[in-house]
Amino acid sequence: MAEYIIRRTLQMIVVFFIFLVSSYLLFNAIPGNAFSNLLLNPDLPPDAYEKVLATYGLDKPIMERVQLYVVNFFKGDFGYSYKYYPKTPIELIAERLPRTLMLFAIVNIVAFYTGFLVGKVLAWRRGSKSETWITVTSVFSYTVFYPWFALMMLWFFGYKMGWFPIGKFLYPEKWYTAPWDSDVIFVLMIKFTAIISIIQFIAYIMTRGIESLSQRRNLRFASLLTIAVGSYFFWNTGDALTKKPYAADIAYHMILPVIVVTIVAFAGTALLTRTTMVEVIKEDYILTARAKGLSQKRIRDRHAARTALLPVVTSFIFTIVTIIDGSVLTETIFSWPGMGQLLLQSVLEEDIPVAMATFSFVGVFALIAHLVADISYSYLDPRIRIKSQG
Amino acid sequence: MSKEVLVVDGLNMHYETLDGLVQAVKDVSFTLKQGESFGLVGESGCGKTSVAMSLLQLQPDNAKISSGSIKLDGIELVGMTEKELRTVRWDGISIVFQGAMNAWNPVAKIGEQIREAIREHRPDNSKDENTEKITELFNIVGLDSSVMDRYPHELSGGMKQRAMIALALSCDPKVVIADEPTTALDVVIQDQILKELKKVQELLGLSLIYISHDIAVIAEMTNNMAVMYAGSIVELGPTKDVFSKPKHAYTRLLLESTPSVVGEKKKLRSLDGEPPSLIDEKKGCSFSPRCPAPSKECKNQELEMKLIEVVKGHYADQCCVECG
Ligand SMILES: Nc1ncnc2c1ncn2[C@@H]1O[C@H](COP(=O)(O)OP(=O)(O)O)[C@@H](O)[C@H]1O
Ligand SMILES: [Mg+2]
Repeated sequence: MAEYIIRRTLQMIVVFFIFLVSSYLLFNAIPGNAFSNLLLNPDLPPDAYEKVLATYGLDKPIMERVQLYVVNFFKGDFGYSYKYYPKTPIELIAERLPRTLMLFAIVNIVAFYTGFLVGKVLAWRRGSKSETWITVTSVFSYTVFYPWFALMMLWFFGYKMGWFPIGKFLYPEKWYTAPWDSDVIFVLMIKFTAIISIIQFIAYIMTRGIESLSQRRNLRFASLLTIAVGSYFFWNTGDALTKKPYAADIAYHMILPVIVVTIVAFAGTALLTRTTMVEVIKEDYILTARAKGLSQKRIRDRHAARTALLPVVTSFIFTIVTIIDGSVLTETIFSWPGMGQLLLQSVLEEDIPVAMATFSFVGVFALIAHLVADISYSYLDPRIRIKSQG
Repeated sequence: MSKEVLVVDGLNMHYETLDGLVQAVKDVSFTLKQGESFGLVGESGCGKTSVAMSLLQLQPDNAKISSGSIKLDGIELVGMTEKELRTVRWDGISIVFQGAMNAWNPVAKIGEQIREAIREHRPDNSKDENTEKITELFNIVGLDSSVMDRYPHELSGGMKQRAMIALALSCDPKVVIADEPTTALDVVIQDQILKELKKVQELLGLSLIYISHDIAVIAEMTNNMAVMYAGSIVELGPTKDVFSKPKHAYTRLLLESTPSVVGEKKKLRSLDGEPPSLIDEKKGCSFSPRCPAPSKECKNQELEMKLIEVVKGHYADQCCVECG
């Protein structure tokens, strides 16, 4: 296993290198550059444009620039933003990433769970009226033209009903006096979410070995309760108490985007789960499970859904990979200043260092996600063995 | 006289299909005594699996038991709610399936899958008690206890089937059904598994229903047997009587078409014709179209198929007792 991971990592470095060079060349192929508009300004001296280019090294031949970029990249130097000088791309990403992560981590988790749940219930109730209706709804939300749908939801719930804010991730007027940047709050919220997920995960793993099912269930419930009580105290004491209203403001702004994206995203998982599970249900071991006298729920969740999980997880991991580039549309519609908007702006403005840095980030993320997918297969399906040789 | 564990009386079961009703089980009655091994034999498609599934009430959604009764230890199973049935399954009746190759969930360990069954019916057992129980069962069926931590794909067909027998025994059921447990295995392994099953049956005094299309295996495995043809039992009696003095023309043909390992060589006869479609309901003897020497009684469409006692304890269908 260790050998496999090392080999894969080496492969990933090679792939990433190719990715880096070709992205740079592609950006370079866009006509003009970030400073072309200086030429249109009659007030500037004629050599100003050349001077600016020289400052940023854009006057050098392309091959030399690629070489410089790659060498500096691996040294950890990503240059400066052309537009937001003297900010570095890392600073820009550090500011934007938590916003995107918070929104899309929640969307993906919620979409995956509801999709998987709906899918397995659909497969289990095959042929019933409710199955038909839910399938039709899922197909609708899977195929609907997303920007239109998002705008309609925004119009209805944000404007017509006035239940949710239209766009932005906070009410600026609330934040004028705030002692913190919004990033601080975002990071706190992400930490909080990560910690409760980890605690629940550990509780789940630790209770796995318990023989009595009812005891197992009670312990898991107890851990959930502990988390609930713990979170209550966390948000009502000390530092977090003062940050609470701001966190609440952000959370309120997140509700509508989360709901809208979830509605669109869950359907793919639901339909895929349904299809795989309908096949699994025909297998002999489902009959064995029924013959053993297990409850319907246990057969559905532990036998049918468990084996149907593999393709669903695969597709889920590939969805995660597209979070950042996929966020362009969502963030534009909901005016959510995250990674997606940064990506779009930097490409439009040919802010190459920023665009390259965001793209590299997406690339590394994708490569790691694929590695994680491959490794998790061998845990999900023991028939898939990762060979350490050959 | 030992106790009757399972009494099946007048069982009728059909499948609803697009072509019409398939009468897979017609008026089947038999009794299984405590510690007895009972054989059910007949060609493929005659309804053996349908009988087995009805006993567990595990028939597919398009199947319906239209009448009859199945009593396990005096308790009626037909018409039980799903919840009541769950307590009967595995604890009362367990089964070793025909397609044993896929009877194990590929993503869970063998031990865990057996444990799951025990946990369902003996929720108060401790983990160690269950491990001990499984080890003991593995011992009986000739498996190493390390098999518990293996996944199904790591086992050979024979080992999977042995583990399946262990699984079937895990809750000490009152009745075990073995539905062609060796059909998917190669010949050498078949023989081993049969011997194992026979040993287990005698050792534990199991009440076993052994289903096979191979009448030779039934001879080896069972004390009493029933011969099924097109959904009905056409002959029923002690295995040695059925073999030595078959009463029904179909049984005789089955015996003549099976090579006997012991005894003198004789010419094998083959059974001509197709089994009848189970869709159209006809009166009279279902075997008469293929009967080599039908009497005029057989052609009598008014005669109902019904078992009659020919010799004490040995029954045959009244339509066909005299022919052949
Ligand atoms: N789910 C089903 N739907 C419709 N017909 C079925 C179904 N299962 C079995 N049958 C039919 O019922 C008859 C008996 O089948 P089965 O009990 O499997 O026979 P056996 O086990 O003796 O080979 C066959 O004619 C078969 O085609
Ligand atoms: Mg069968």
